[in-house]
Formats: sequence, C-alpha cells, structure tokens
Amino acid sequence: MSRAGFGGSPDDIGLLHAMGREKAVDFLLNPEEPIKAYPKPEWADLKTAMADMAEMTMERREMMAETRGLSAEEAEKKRREMQKDVQQELRRQGLEAQHWWFNRMLKTKAPLREKMTLFWHDHFATSIQKVKQPVLLMKQNELFREHAFGNFRDLTQKIVRDPAMMLYLDTQRSSKSMPNENFAREVMELFTLGEGNYTEEDVKQAARAFTGYQLNRINGEVVQSARAWDDGEKTIFGNTGPYNGKDVVNLIFKKDACAKFMMTKLWEFFAYEKPVDSAMEDLAATFRKNEYGMKPVLREIFLSREFYGEKAMATQIKCPVQYLVQLLKELEMESAPLGFPIMGQTQLGQVLFMPPNVAGWDWGKAWINTNTLLTRYNLAGSLTKGTVSEMMGRAKKFAERRGMRKGANGPDLSGLAAESERNETEKLVDGLIARFFSVPVPAKARESFITYADSKKGVSFTDKELGELCHLMLSTPHYQLC
Amino acid sequence: MKTRRDFIRSVVLGASATWTLPGFIDRTFAELGDETRDRSTQFTTGKDGTILVVLQLAGGNDGLNTLVPFGNDEYYKARPKLAKKEKDLIRLGDGIGLNNSMPFLGSLFKEGRLGVVQGVGYPNPNRSHFVSTSIWETADTTNRVNTGWLGRYFDNACEGVDPTVGMSFNKSTPESFGAMRNPGVSLSSPELYRWIHSGGNQAQAEEFFSELNQPKNDVEDGPTDGGSIDMPAGGKVGSLAGESNLDFLERVALDAQVSSKKILEVAAKHKTNVQYDGTSVARNLNLVSRMIAGGMPTRVYYVSHGGFDTHNGQVNSHDRLLGQLDSALKSFFADLKQQGNDKRVTLMTFSEFGRRVSENASAGTDHGKASCMFVAGGGVKGGLYGKYPSLTDLSQGDLNHTVDFRSVYADLLGGWLKAPNIGKILGGEYKGIGMT
Repeated sequence: MSRAGFGGSPDDIGLLHAMGREKAVDFLLNPEEPIKAYPKPEWADLKTAMADMAEMTMERREMMAETRGLSAEEAEKKRREMQKDVQQELRRQGLEAQHWWFNRMLKTKAPLREKMTLFWHDHFATSIQKVKQPVLLMKQNELFREHAFGNFRDLTQKIVRDPAMMLYLDTQRSSKSMPNENFAREVMELFTLGEGNYTEEDVKQAARAFTGYQLNRINGEVVQSARAWDDGEKTIFGNTGPYNGKDVVNLIFKKDACAKFMMTKLWEFFAYEKPVDSAMEDLAATFRKNEYGMKPVLREIFLSREFYGEKAMATQIKCPVQYLVQLLKELEMESAPLGFPIMGQTQLGQVLFMPPNVAGWDWGKAWINTNTLLTRYNLAGSLTKGTVSEMMGRAKKFAERRGMRKGANGPDLSGLAAESERNETEKLVDGLIARFFSVPVPAKARESFITYADSKKGVSFTDKELGELCHLMLSTPHYQLC
Repeated sequence: MKTRRDFIRSVVLGASATWTLPGFIDRTFAELGDETRDRSTQFTTGKDGTILVVLQLAGGNDGLNTLVPFGNDEYYKARPKLAKKEKDLIRLGDGIGLNNSMPFLGSLFKEGRLGVVQGVGYPNPNRSHFVSTSIWETADTTNRVNTGWLGRYFDNACEGVDPTVGMSFNKSTPESFGAMRNPGVSLSSPELYRWIHSGGNQAQAEEFFSELNQPKNDVEDGPTDGGSIDMPAGGKVGSLAGESNLDFLERVALDAQVSSKKILEVAAKHKTNVQYDGTSVARNLNLVSRMIAGGMPTRVYYVSHGGFDTHNGQVNSHDRLLGQLDSALKSFFADLKQQGNDKRVTLMTFSEFGRRVSENASAGTDHGKASCMFVAGGGVKGGLYGKYPSLTDLSQGDLNHTVDFRSVYADLLGGWLKAPNIGKILGGEYKGIGMT
C-alpha cells in the first residue's frame, strides 16, 4: 500500500488486505474514482487561461497607448508594475497548483494512479521555475494522470509536443538552421533508451527531425510547422527517411533497449534498486508484447514473488512527498495544516512541479542527510504536537495572505487511541507500531517505546503525552522506510 | 581538538558504558590505513587546516558598478544615470576602480590580501536566475548533474563521513553542497539543527531519542537483522560499500546527533567582542567565525547575501548591498584576526550573472552575463586577475567572459584546500589563474 500509493490508516490497509493480493492489485489498477474527481482551480482551465492571456495582451496594449505621452522612465515604471502583478499572480497559481496536487494525493481513492502520475512527473521532469506558466504544468499533470495506466509510447508522443516540456527544454527555438541537439539527446538518454543505446550521429539526425515545433498562443497546442521543420532525409538507427518528430519516437520504440530501460526504472521506483538483469528482460518482454501498455507490467510487478521478497519488503526510503502524505494519512488528518505541505517539501528536498533538472530527482539514499533527517523528525514533532503554526512563520503568512484554507494544526489524538486504552501501554505501543511502521521494529526499540509510555502513565496520559510518544516513535531511522 | 572518533566516544558513547563502538564506525576508521593517513589533513583539520568561505551574492551582481571601468567612455555612454564617476571610486588599477561603498575591500586590496577577478563567466551563458545559479553551484554548464562542486570536493577529497566538513548557514541546502556521500550540514541557526522535543521532561525524552537513534549494535535485535543481511550494495548514492538502506539511515541518524551536539556546544561557547551589523550576512559570518573559533573541522562554509536583482532604481540599493557586504567582511576578518585564524581563511564571492552593459529605462539593469569575483584572505596573492571584458565587443548587449569560473574554483580547490582529483571534482581539467 505504501509502495503502490501513499500508505493509509490501519482501516484503509485492513480493507485492502482483506481483498487478497490479486483482487487488491485489480482494485488499484482499476480505480472507480473518476480522473476529474477533483475540480481544478479556475485559472487552470486551458480555455480560461488562453482568454486570460488574450485579455492581458489587450491590457498591455492599452497601457502602451496610455503611456505614449509619458517619459521613457515613467512608461518603463508602468510596464514593470504590470509585470510585477502578473508575476505575483503566476506565483500564486503555482502555489495553488502545488497544494492542489498534494491534497489530491492525500484524499484520493486511486492512490496508484497518483503514484504513477508522480512517476511520470519525475520521468518527464519539467519545472515551473523555468516554464513559469502554472496552467501548462497543470495540463501536463493531467496528461500524466490520464496515462497513469496508459501507453508509454503514446505518452512519449504527447510529451514531445507538450507545451510545458517544450518551454522547459527550449524546443521552440530549434530551427532548421540551428537544430537543438539537447532535446533530441534528452529524449533518447533520459526518456526512452538510456545512455549507450544510441550514437551521437543519431542525436544529430534526430535533432533535425525535431525542428519546427511551435506553440500556438491561442489554443495552447504545439504543432510542427512545415516551414520551420527540416524536411530533408535523416538516418537514424540505420533507417533513412524524411522523418519528423513523431517518426523518431516510433523509431525509438522499435528498439529493444527502450522496454528494458523503462522496466528497470519502474522496478526501481516501486521495488528496489539494481534489480537482476534477467528479471528486467522478462518484464521488458511483457512490456513489448503489450505494445508498451503500462497496466500489464504494473500487474506483473505487483503480483511477482520478488516484490514481496526480502530485498523489496520495507527497504525503500520514503521520498519527501511520500513521507509527508503518508504521515498525514497515518495520523488520520484529512487536510494538512496551512502551508505545511510546501514548507515540508522545500525543507526535505522535493517540491512538486519543481524537479531540480530534466533528469528528475535523485531517489533513495539521496533524500537523506543529517539536515533532512533532523527536519523529518522535527516536522513529525510539530505535527503530532499540533505546533505546526508556531514553526511555520513566513510560510504560513505567505499562505494566509493568499487566502488558503486553514487545516487542523494537528491530529485528533483521541481518535488514534482513546483515553481508556492508554493505560495498557504494551497494547497502546503495539497499536501505534502497527499504524506507523512497515518495517519490523527491533525488540529493543519497542521496549524503549513501552518504557517511555510507562514513565508517562504514572502522572497522566493526556493527548500531550500521547503526542510526545508518537513523536518519539516517528523520530527513528525505521520510520523513514516503507 | 578531539578527533571525531574521540568525540563520538566521549559525547555519545560516553553516555552509556554498555554501548560498544558500532561496527560501521570501526569500518570507516579502519579504512584510514597508512595510505590514507597521509591525506588525513583533508579529514580532521582541527586548528591547522585551511578554510574556504563561499559567499553568494544572490540575484546577479552588477559587476560594472562594482568594479568600474572608469577609463572607458563606452561605460558612461551606456549608463548615463548609473555610471560612477572616477572621484567616487577606489582606484585599483589603470582605468579600474572599486565602488566606494566598499572601503574595507579597498584597504584589503592595498594590503595585497584581495584578489579581484575580472570578467568571470562561462560559455553559452544562461540568463535565468534558476538555471545560472545551478550552473555556478554544480560547475556543470549543461545543468544536468545533481551534485555540487563543493559536495564533490567533500566526496572526493575528504576522508571519513563527518557531516560538518561543510556548513551552510542558509535556509536550504545550497546546490553546491549536493553530494553522493556527504552533503555537509545546512542550518538556518544552530538552535534549529537538533531534535526539538518541546514537550515535558526534555532530558528524559532526549535520552530515549538518543538511544533510538543508535545503530543497532548486536544481534539480539531480532527481525530487522534478517532483512538486512546480504543486501545489495545500495544504490548509486551516499552509501558505504555493503550498506543497506537501514544501516545507512542509522549511520546518518548518529551523525546528525553527533554534529548537532557539537555545533550547539561550539555556538554557545564562543563569543566575540567584535561588533557585527544586524544584517543577515553579518550575522551569518559571525556564526562562521564562532564555528572556526570553536575548532570545528569544517573545510567549507557557505553564506548568502541577497537582493542583487536590481532591475530598477539601482543606484541606492546596489551601493547599500555592497556596503553591507563590506561592513560584514570587515567585522569578520577583524574577528578572525583576533582569534589568530585570519591566515587560515579565504573567502570567495560569486553571483549567478552580471548585468546588462546598458542601463534600462527604470534606472536599473537587466540580467546579463560576465561579472567579477572577490577572493579575500589568507591564501590569496592580491591583485587584479583576468582581463576586463570589452565594452564594445558584446554578445547580445552583454559582456563576454574572459575567465571561466571553474578556473577560479580550480585555484581554490588545488592551491588553497589542497584537494587531490580536481579534474574529477570539476568534471574537467581547468587551469588555475594563479591566485593562491
């Protein structure tokens, strides 16, 4: 459940458990929750956004007319003021987008779909810091969600013509006279084949095929303009023809390396790093047989014996987004405290819509260092003790100013363990262990928890002490694994 | 100065006589055999090693109004409102003067303790704050690697896994600290770099915390051991050979505890009677000096000074920022001198890019390309380095660089920090410019 989603409360997990493995996998792969279950912010609608953009152009024109009589300095000042407003609005939208997706992860009844959306976001990494148009990122996010269990080749075709990706990798500047090799290289190296499965000449030739992409500012679609496209013959992977971008993607997917590259990445995302080669070959065969459909291979992964083996079980370091969502779920909080998701993501090193570069995030051990580990411990503390708003300072003010909804500050602790249940400390601790840990907790740690709980029991066991006990349990290396 | 091993024994392990030295620490130190011992200056420096302070001028510092080419008419033509007159400058060389908001740096220059590098940049410059900062911090102009130049220094040149080898006083970890193995420590203040209990009976809670964050040290632990035997050698990042994710987490947890205790102790102990301004750059340099005074084994400190994105009304804001920098550096170096550490410390400034040659209509400047760097302190041969970029041979209205920033890094890594493997750290062979 934590691998195929973002964890859950003991009840959630129990429900899935009761289904049995096969049924549970089917349930995860065929969610009932509609893709459009969570209404997007108004600005994120492409039509609205395009209308907004047109309106802005009008306003700009009007302003230019108004400032005609002014000195250059005053006109510039007006222009900058307007630009500042626009930037502020875009920043607000970006923040809203980040909250929107995080909350969706928290609430969704289709956890694997969101997990796959995150997988695609990392795989086809695009950052709002460069694209600067939240609406385009939201559109891309939708594309990922629609293809969560879809077809990898179709998604790749769509991504090479995705406006956000295009702005991120400067594809629109790639012209016949100056083809952008960078984009062609990323497509092969990072998106489909992996290093060593193409030549520099393939990259050069493919770059010519990817020329002429243009963003239509009216409808937000990307087209390959016949005039700016290099229509000459290209030789790629030993095939020759007057290829365009679509043809190149098709040629790539004819290569065997593509399926194995993707299967290794998928396995590492869900199971563990450095899998055995032959196992990946087998998965790749399934992938090719199904014409790059994701569902069959996901099913195969989740039903494989290896996925429940020693190497896979409870050995993965939670990525920051997983850590935060799962923590909130385990504490049965239906919404995050104000500003908490962004603060947490920033401090732990994974902010949605802001991967560090086109290669995506570094996973696994890279998430953890002394700073981020202490921060995880302290974030857990602020949550279990309901002191988030005290430690937030600026982030909270930022969110408040932008009129974001306020969530509860901490969990309802009496819901986690009723006061009457708290005196049987062993039972209490075991209950909490089952709630928080996917990893078997060492006997010694369990004893520590119990001793700590016992020492509290003597005086009283109010929510405050229970919060402290939870914090102690969460401040452990074991809690970082799932 | 205690070694880290002593420290662990006395502070953490000393708390309970029953704990034995965890296996992985033994392994780490066993690796420090005869061969590596020779290089162990890179490991624990105590009172002797050289120290680099990296100071970021965030936002894109206007090099042309920092290091002013007053001998060049083109400068005055391009900047009718912003140009600095010769009489308002501290003369550094022929036709070149320093913004007079920086009298201290001017005096350092005269003493031969300030190197000024002119026209620093890199090929195919990028004008986005985000991308260009990343390029400077990773020293990778293709903006693809996820490790930073300082992180790679920690990984490649510094033995052991002491996280305090690098310390950043920033809100978030600077990209330059990104590392496979050891990304240093980042903290906004020492008081926050610790496990915060904030509940009843602090001491007791901390004791439990401490115990839970010890590596398991025997086989009685039960279920987890079964899981971690015969694990593969971990992923591409961070791990020592043969280390499982759990082992790795336990090691980092212990490192966090040890370094947190040490930093808090040092921060509380060392005070100075040198006056610092209330600006954040001054406060952070004050923290750096306290860490140095306290004998931290840190090789690299990182602080940041922001606000250089001067698109409009630049004159006052830019001079003020430079003045704040100058004043903070004055206090910092006076403080180091008082401690007797001034010869051990070299400080380098950098900024993601310079500004356009021509001013804009709002009496400001827009994102540009090449700019200047300051390198001050113990290890520097003072003087002007590189060549002032031409003001007529421009690329899209911007200065062309004459010095690649990676050759400045090469000087500091090789000449000052005495790091081996500079080529590996910088991802290519860069010849220094002879400042150190």
